Amino acid sequence: MKKLILSLALGLAMTGSALANNVVPASKQTQPVLLQGGTVHTVSSGVIERADIIFADGKIIEIGTNLSAPEGARVLDITGQHVYPGFIALDTTLGLVEMGAVRATVDTNEVGNFTPEVQAHHAYNADSNVTPTVLYTGITHAQIVPQGSLVRGQSSLLKLDSWNWQDGLEAGDLGIHLTWPRAGLNNAWWERRSAAEQQKAQAEARDEITEIMETAKVYNAARESGVQNRIDRRWEAMRGLFNNEKKLFVHADDRRQIEQVLAFNERHGFDLVIMGGRDSWMVADQLAAADIPVVFGSVYGLPARVDDAYDTAFTTPARLAEAGVEFAIAYPGFWDVRNLAFAAGHAVAFGLDYDQAVASITYAPAKIMGVEDRLGTIEVGKQATLVVSAGDALDQLGQDINFMFIDGREINLTNKQKQLYEKYQQRIETE
Amino acid sequence: MKQLPIKRTAVLVGSGLLAAGLTWTSVADQTTPVQGLYQHNPNLIAFTNATLVTEPGKRLENATLVMENGIIRSIERNNRAPNGARVIDASGYTLYPGFVDPYSNYGVEQPAGSAPRGRSGTPIYSNERQGGNASNSAIHAERTWVDTFQPNADQAKSYVAQGFTTVQSARLDGIFRGRATTVSLADTIANNAIYQANAQHFGSFNKGSSTQQYPASLMGSIALVRQTLSDSRWYAEAAGLQASNGQVEFNAALEALKGLNEQGLVFQADDEQSLLRAHRVLNGFEVPVTYVGSGFEYARLNDIKATSARLILPLNFPAAPELGEQYAELDVSLADLRHWERAPSNPAALAEAGIEFAFTLHGMDKKADFWPNIRKAVARGLSDEQALAALTTIPASIAGVANQSGKLAAGYRGDIVVSRGDLFADGEIVSVWLQGKETKLKSMHPVDFAGEWQLQALGTEFTLKVSGNGRMQADLSAGDASVRVANLNQADEQLRFSANLNDLGMPGVYRFALSQSSLNSLQGTVQDASGQTHPLMAQAAVEETEAESETARTDTPAEELIGQLTYPNVAFGRASQPEQQNLHIRNATVWTADDQGVLENADIIVRNGLIHRVGRELSTPRGYTVIDASGMHITPGIIDEHSHIAISQGVNEGTEAITAEVRIGDVVNPDDIHIYRSLAGGATVAHLLHGSANPIGGQGQTIKLRWGENSEGLKFRETPPTIKFALGENVKQSNWGGANTIRYPQTRMGVAQIMQDVFQQAREYEQAKADYENLSRAEKRRTAPPRVDYRLESVLQVINSERHTHVHSYVASEVLALMDVVEQQGFKIHTFTHILEGYKVAKEIAEHGARASSFADWWAFKIEAFDAIPHNMCLMMEQGVLTSINSDSNDLQRRLNTEAAKSVRYCGMSESDALKMITLYPAMQLEIDEYVGSITVGKHADLVIWNAHPLSAYAQVQETWIEGRKYFDREADLAAREAVDSERQALIQKVLGAGPEAYRGARNGYRQQQPTWHCEDNHDVWLDWFGDHHHGHSHSHELGGAQ
Repeated sequence: MKKLILSLALGLAMTGSALANNVVPASKQTQPVLLQGGTVHTVSSGVIERADIIFADGKIIEIGTNLSAPEGARVLDITGQHVYPGFIALDTTLGLVEMGAVRATVDTNEVGNFTPEVQAHHAYNADSNVTPTVLYTGITHAQIVPQGSLVRGQSSLLKLDSWNWQDGLEAGDLGIHLTWPRAGLNNAWWERRSAAEQQKAQAEARDEITEIMETAKVYNAARESGVQNRIDRRWEAMRGLFNNEKKLFVHADDRRQIEQVLAFNERHGFDLVIMGGRDSWMVADQLAAADIPVVFGSVYGLPARVDDAYDTAFTTPARLAEAGVEFAIAYPGFWDVRNLAFAAGHAVAFGLDYDQAVASITYAPAKIMGVEDRLGTIEVGKQATLVVSAGDALDQLGQDINFMFIDGREINLTNKQKQLYEKYQQRIETE
Repeated sequence: MKQLPIKRTAVLVGSGLLAAGLTWTSVADQTTPVQGLYQHNPNLIAFTNATLVTEPGKRLENATLVMENGIIRSIERNNRAPNGARVIDASGYTLYPGFVDPYSNYGVEQPAGSAPRGRSGTPIYSNERQGGNASNSAIHAERTWVDTFQPNADQAKSYVAQGFTTVQSARLDGIFRGRATTVSLADTIANNAIYQANAQHFGSFNKGSSTQQYPASLMGSIALVRQTLSDSRWYAEAAGLQASNGQVEFNAALEALKGLNEQGLVFQADDEQSLLRAHRVLNGFEVPVTYVGSGFEYARLNDIKATSARLILPLNFPAAPELGEQYAELDVSLADLRHWERAPSNPAALAEAGIEFAFTLHGMDKKADFWPNIRKAVARGLSDEQALAALTTIPASIAGVANQSGKLAAGYRGDIVVSRGDLFADGEIVSVWLQGKETKLKSMHPVDFAGEWQLQALGTEFTLKVSGNGRMQADLSAGDASVRVANLNQADEQLRFSANLNDLGMPGVYRFALSQSSLNSLQGTVQDASGQTHPLMAQAAVEETEAESETARTDTPAEELIGQLTYPNVAFGRASQPEQQNLHIRNATVWTADDQGVLENADIIVRNGLIHRVGRELSTPRGYTVIDASGMHITPGIIDEHSHIAISQGVNEGTEAITAEVRIGDVVNPDDIHIYRSLAGGATVAHLLHGSANPIGGQGQTIKLRWGENSEGLKFRETPPTIKFALGENVKQSNWGGANTIRYPQTRMGVAQIMQDVFQQAREYEQAKADYENLSRAEKRRTAPPRVDYRLESVLQVINSERHTHVHSYVASEVLALMDVVEQQGFKIHTFTHILEGYKVAKEIAEHGARASSFADWWAFKIEAFDAIPHNMCLMMEQGVLTSINSDSNDLQRRLNTEAAKSVRYCGMSESDALKMITLYPAMQLEIDEYVGSITVGKHADLVIWNAHPLSAYAQVQETWIEGRKYFDREADLAAREAVDSERQALIQKVLGAGPEAYRGARNGYRQQQPTWHCEDNHDVWLDWFGDHHHGHSHSHELGGAQ
């Protein structure tokens, strides 16, 4: 095991991202690896007990039982342990936020409500102290998403173990994120606008989206036909939507918002993904029929309305599954993203099939990110991006990640918190 | 609009004379030197043939009421007017006593508009002192609003239009608002309008226009009321004497409050919960109080009744929630739908419960709804008599004018409401007499000549048919001949027309002028072709029975209410408390959380709410309910050391650095749905804490989650007193914006010092009290007793180890500093809460003897949380610190089991210890482990039945029991959802079915939903603003806001 320099200088001098973590990114796989005897959650073809996996040069080359080790292979006996594809966290601000309350460490919101040009990976801090704690729970990749009130910008998928964002970029410029205007009334006590005023503002915001999409379309056509030669970075960023090179991620929680988004997309035919989707269970049949995927972001959510059943959010994944909606489970946030696998487990307690829960944080997000050809399942030919847990990784009682590989590279699972733990254990021992 | 069974409407004969264009005053004031001629206008008035409702339940028919000089002189049954009186024929009219509104701000000085305050303004911590005023600018009990009183005809109009003649009035601003004055709404000089110069004190919890920081929460206001009442008692005793710290000051507010217990208090409560909260404080000081209610009293009727207080009710029945658009119901709660339907039943419910109340116009956003709403209340079962009492005798008594207002009786004020028809059914007020002077409401009720009249003039019988639809037309006939009249018009309350009567055998064009003389008769003149006028009389052609209105009312069946009334009155509320059962729970995996560990295939016997036996294959005692728990796991109820659910109007009194006097126990909110949701996650006990905005916050309150009980019923009485302390970024206002940099302390150095200082002050306070007690009787007479200071009393309990500290803390340095400070004062910190860097100083915490309660895995949300680690619990426990996991969140409180399991995941804690971190250990931290925290014989039967290993992600709560009562049942919950849904749909249909009528009503008639409180939420609930930091962690609010 690599000897790590225990950082003793964790003082709090905050200047930009000066607080680098001290975890060295793993180097390229040079030696084949045989994982022996694990319970393999392939996601693509069920669970295989006592199975072996061989991977080399970052790719899975064989899955089976009683495989013999290739020459020079490193053999790891993981009998009784669980192997999963790396977990993929969608809709996060990892690397964009280091400390929520410290403005200098927050790079989530650009000025104005129309900033499609911004690319999340440009601000991604590969040296964040937060990401290693997230890796530690089996999450190998995360979608990094700009925040904002209307057209936010573009997200990217990053490996959470990298020297810098270029090194870590798994898929960039995935699509445009749009925050759908609120539908329905805000009854909160600080909202002072009348119902009519709120409705008017909402209608205006929807008109604004119509206007934006129309302009973007015209701009694109003008660029295609050579009529427009002057470049506008904003409209340029939107062009990919019209040939489905880019997805449109629409953040919408309320039933009425989701229905408005579906109607909107009837007209536009974008490659649409619903983000958040708090009320998606109410319109599950429509979502299934329209074949629109949902990134459900609040498995642990409180009921949105006082009259809702206490477990409304908990049961939503099961209801989406039952209706045949394509969905991933997400845990929006930064430090707390590490609860992603537990959230999937919680959905199991409220009716979701276990294998589907695993898929909802592996294959489903890989597909939504467009990287299912290499990530999200354990299959021959795919990236050797694997998580080995002593117990059930979706359960707080079972999760104990012993190994993690990202394209065959063995990831160092230490982090600032673990180091502080070790440091203060030494205080007990020395005093 | 015409609703009367009697078609002919009329004005009172003679009244027009009095009202129209009289510039002289009939009642002169008595002290102004006369300029010019002395005036002696006739001022004897008699209403004859009247129906008099002299007071609720007393009705006289065909009586005469005589007024003189604005006073009722007599009521005559013989229906004879005295000589020299102006006689008003009131046939067909009913006279009521003028109405009294006991809660008004009519005619008094209004508060100056306050400058916008908020994040940019420098906070104001003290009151500008002037003339012996109170130290808090929301306390101005010394104001006597009569001093500023000036009649205001414009303002009076909206009252008089509803029949009011008298109001009790003060500036409705602040906490102790000063004394109201009871005045007439007559347009006269102030001297003549004042009926009771100094009436009741007014009060509320709302600090109003005060710009002073304190109080910014409901509990702060309650504490201020408590301190002020205590101070006024002290002042009554101490004024003029020497105190240990000098001569007792002059204090005008306290001086004024000395008489409170004789003068009485009218106290405005925002809702029924606040009414009960106010009562707990005011009753403690024996203040005679009348509450201004909210219309929600029906929701806790028995508790309201138990106060024995009188109420003043606004009639702001709400407009239905907007439901026109598809799925608009997503924004509408069942509680609001229920209130829309039930609000008009509130007065009848109160009356039936024997609670006395008056009505007020206050709080109605549409005053014109007042009478329609009274009629709605009557339709829901309020009797006319009760309704009239609420308008007359009861408010007159509240306003201190029962000897002059509220009845029609000799010697009472000439304040009279004249109604056409029965006012409580479909009648209408046609005029209101104030001090013997009429205000006609005629413009709202035009005289109606439409119909058929038998007209006698010129020795001939005519029939006059007037049609009032659209343009007026009329035909005059005699015998078989008929002519269409010309120049028909209505002006000056006269019907005028001309008619060529050639066809009727009377040559020439005749000009007619008619006015109404009574409800069914006209009188006037006709001018013939020669220019001569002749008298003319007319009677309505059709007689209709007056009884019709009576029958119309009794025929209407009482409306069937669809909405349920539950406790609390929200979705998933209970119809009644669950019954306590004796239980035999069989064959479960029992996680005892005591020395017995986990017992497989075990039984539990629950008797009288307590654990009676735990063992295997126990036999079932006779009459016990058997629960087969095969395959199930049972744990003790989960206990949360740090919760902010079930709190009303502010979790922080974060204004001053030390607010040890405020009490979460004063503001427990039993209606919070999170009580139920937490039960569904297996929680049974929550320690409700003040927030972390100041070094010494408020007193904590432990509750059992007895969903459906009132606030007092929720309280876990056996819990010793607690208090919240806080350290670090929040208390030094690090994230509050640039304006908040003047409060001491702004550094962790200052935090330690202010703590040490207040402990010292509390000691000296204790000494001062002891010194006084040791004085001789003679010395005591010369010496002012020490003033009770609730703030120091609370701190004194802390330093005497009678009140346990729960200290919001993060970093190692501040934790060591506080332990150092309190050790110097000779006491110990009880429990550090959050304590994210506890692992760094676990040894020192253990040596000090403090306990620790932490988040499972929160970190990185601010600098002081950047060294937090999820291994914290293991390291602390390993070094002997009693450690628990808390939620600080209404979300996490529902799933503390898996939060505890994170210590198994991150640092290999034993499952047994992990479970104890959310059961036994928090019980020990609250010093209630004698009662709860484990499944041990003799402890409360607070049990959770799970369908899987209780710490695993896959465990789902099936049942939650508190003291042998089942408060949550998964099956029952599934059924309740169906019931909630169908009740909602039925009420939605009722709203939609009612059409536009449903949307008529008050826009301000619903409760505001309480937000989800977090430790840091520190805004002024009275000022409506948020601190800068409020949105600092908005991204994670839904999923566990970071504190």
